[in-house]
Amino acid sequence: MDDPLPPLFRDAHILHAKQALARLPGCLVEVDASRMLIIFYCVGIFDLLGVLEQQTNEMDRKSWQNWIWEQHTVGEYGTGFKPGPFMSRTLSHWDQESPHLIMTYGALMSLAILRDDFSRLNRAGLQHFVGSCQNHNGSFSSMPNGGGESDLRNLYCAFCICALLGDWSSIDVERAIAFVALCRTYEGGYGQLPGCEAQGGTTYLAIAALHLAPPGPRPRLTPADRARSEHWLVHNQDASGGFRGRTGKAPDTCYCFWGGAALQILGAQDKIDAYAFTQFIAGSQFPFGGISKAAGQLPDPYHTYLSLAAASLYTPRLPSSVKGYGWEFAPFDPLLNAREETVRWARSFIPAQRGRQMV
Amino acid sequence: MTAPAAPPTLYSVRPEWADVTPVVQYEKANPLAPIVYTEEYKDATDYLRAVVKSGEKSERVLKLTEHVIRLNPAHYSAWWQYRYETVVALSWPLDVEMTLMDELADKYLKTYQVWHHRRLILLLPGAGAGRAAQELTYIANMLQTDEKNYHTWAHRQWLLAFHNDDALWAGELDFVDTMLNRDLRNNSAWHHRFFVVFQSGVRAGEEDRQRIIHRELMCVCHVKQHISLAPNNASAWNYLRGVLEFNKLPLSNVATFVKPYTVPLPDGAKDVVDLENPPPGQGAELPCVAAIEFLADVYEEEGGESTHMAVELWKSLGDEHDTIRKKYWEYRILQARSV
Repeated sequence: MDDPLPPLFRDAHILHAKQALARLPGCLVEVDASRMLIIFYCVGIFDLLGVLEQQTNEMDRKSWQNWIWEQHTVGEYGTGFKPGPFMSRTLSHWDQESPHLIMTYGALMSLAILRDDFSRLNRAGLQHFVGSCQNHNGSFSSMPNGGGESDLRNLYCAFCICALLGDWSSIDVERAIAFVALCRTYEGGYGQLPGCEAQGGTTYLAIAALHLAPPGPRPRLTPADRARSEHWLVHNQDASGGFRGRTGKAPDTCYCFWGGAALQILGAQDKIDAYAFTQFIAGSQFPFGGISKAAGQLPDPYHTYLSLAAASLYTPRLPSSVKGYGWEFAPFDPLLNAREETVRWARSFIPAQRGRQMV
Repeated sequence: MTAPAAPPTLYSVRPEWADVTPVVQYEKANPLAPIVYTEEYKDATDYLRAVVKSGEKSERVLKLTEHVIRLNPAHYSAWWQYRYETVVALSWPLDVEMTLMDELADKYLKTYQVWHHRRLILLLPGAGAGRAAQELTYIANMLQTDEKNYHTWAHRQWLLAFHNDDALWAGELDFVDTMLNRDLRNNSAWHHRFFVVFQSGVRAGEEDRQRIIHRELMCVCHVKQHISLAPNNASAWNYLRGVLEFNKLPLSNVATFVKPYTVPLPDGAKDVVDLENPPPGQGAELPCVAAIEFLADVYEEEGGESTHMAVELWKSLGDEHDTIRKKYWEYRILQARSV
């Protein structure tokens, strides 16, 4: 009964990422202040498709690493990465431009994908920076001392950085967890801030954060909470196979990742229809490269990366009767949102105590 | 309107900016994912970097940051690091700033920074407490055009919780009803109702047990009416579960209400007025998947012999009514049998 999957347009998606890394059109100027994330999605697309070495040479990769390190900035409240040079006057690692928490996560993951040795990382400065982004109520802001927005996106990135450093001493974990709990809603998902509606993206961030954190005095989720979250997430799968971000909204490939990865973290990955899920992603491919939020929309690196990440999680669960050309992926880590091999590299080279093993 | 007219005059040729030396963006020879900036953006940001460098805080800086923001509303440095600081340094009239923000929020509804700046302005000492009521009206208007906008609802929830003022809370249930009358499937409105009734909206004195029970019953009655109008509304069913679970009431409390929704609509059904258990309206698409699931949960809760009935309902969901979730229903069957 299962129809074959349409092929994965690998070459076209590689081209999509290559074109974005080479230049972004002026109409995308809104990403000027979040360029690092576009870069993370693009090098991530290469990584998920397993073609980084084949599609780029050593010189490209070194040059890309150097560009990312140029955004490594030392400020009054520590060290991290800025989104790009959009406010830079000189190549100065000490200037008034504050590092940004989300961009710092994006930079560390991109460098791990490029297999950087992190010898240039100022670890003490990074810890200081993450700590100075935490607010009194346990939440995190994008920049030190309450600068920029504060919501679950920043908290998740702070947790990822601590997990990669293997050191949580610069933040108050229990206070942060209490903040996450305040974002939970009666539906079983989490909102962006306390009092806000449950949303797929923020629910992933909350659930991943709870599982990244070191063990606490109590379980991070009660069995009843887990069951309620699972229920809400499973019900976000639309009849088309795609996931919606909120009750009653239309499905979107990015929520296939956020919802699908949250379920995987909860150990509930076998409770959804993986075939319809992959069909929805396959149907959202743009024939000339990139994946869109849904069929008939324009593609972008964000939806392309997250769709491939979602497919990495669920294609291994497809029934063997389904054959699809090109839908084979390496194992993926749903907590840190990267290939397992990349996460192993990051966890081996980023920590301050370098017990480095060969990866 | 302070919007620059097209074609824009570049700052580099404006006499009033002649005293400022523009600062170009530093980028080495091999940029990664470079944006092909327009001349206008490049020029405006050259001057933004220049004033940030010199530390100038003036009216013309406000105009410049506004210009950059209109070209790129996600430019957080133009917003937070510079416009906000300049507003504070100049003691700029906040009503003037808010008038501009009204326009920009309308234009760039989905940008985080627009709402963040708005909140920062409202927190300034000069904003005045009276401003909050006006803000609620503004948000209500914004929600008329985009009824589910996440940022707009989040802003309303923040405003109510932050001021926590009886007068502000007083109109919220009526407001939710207006939104639900426009679209009774609007989950944002259902969520907001829960927020008002059970979370931050709980007023002093309402901790009184009798009053709480009364309020719960009102809510259950309210949601039942909505389900009878449109049974296939996941938001309403989630809300019903939410109310019962939050108040630790068994699901069986509403079993009598739920049952008629789990079977096909009987022929020649008459309109029955039963406020306690409003029946499905004529033309309702039945059986309703959410009702079947709800009833199965009631049986599972009862346990014992009833588990068998729950299993039958889950089977019907997986095989017929809700096949996309077949695996989930199979899991529920397995779990119930293992107890």
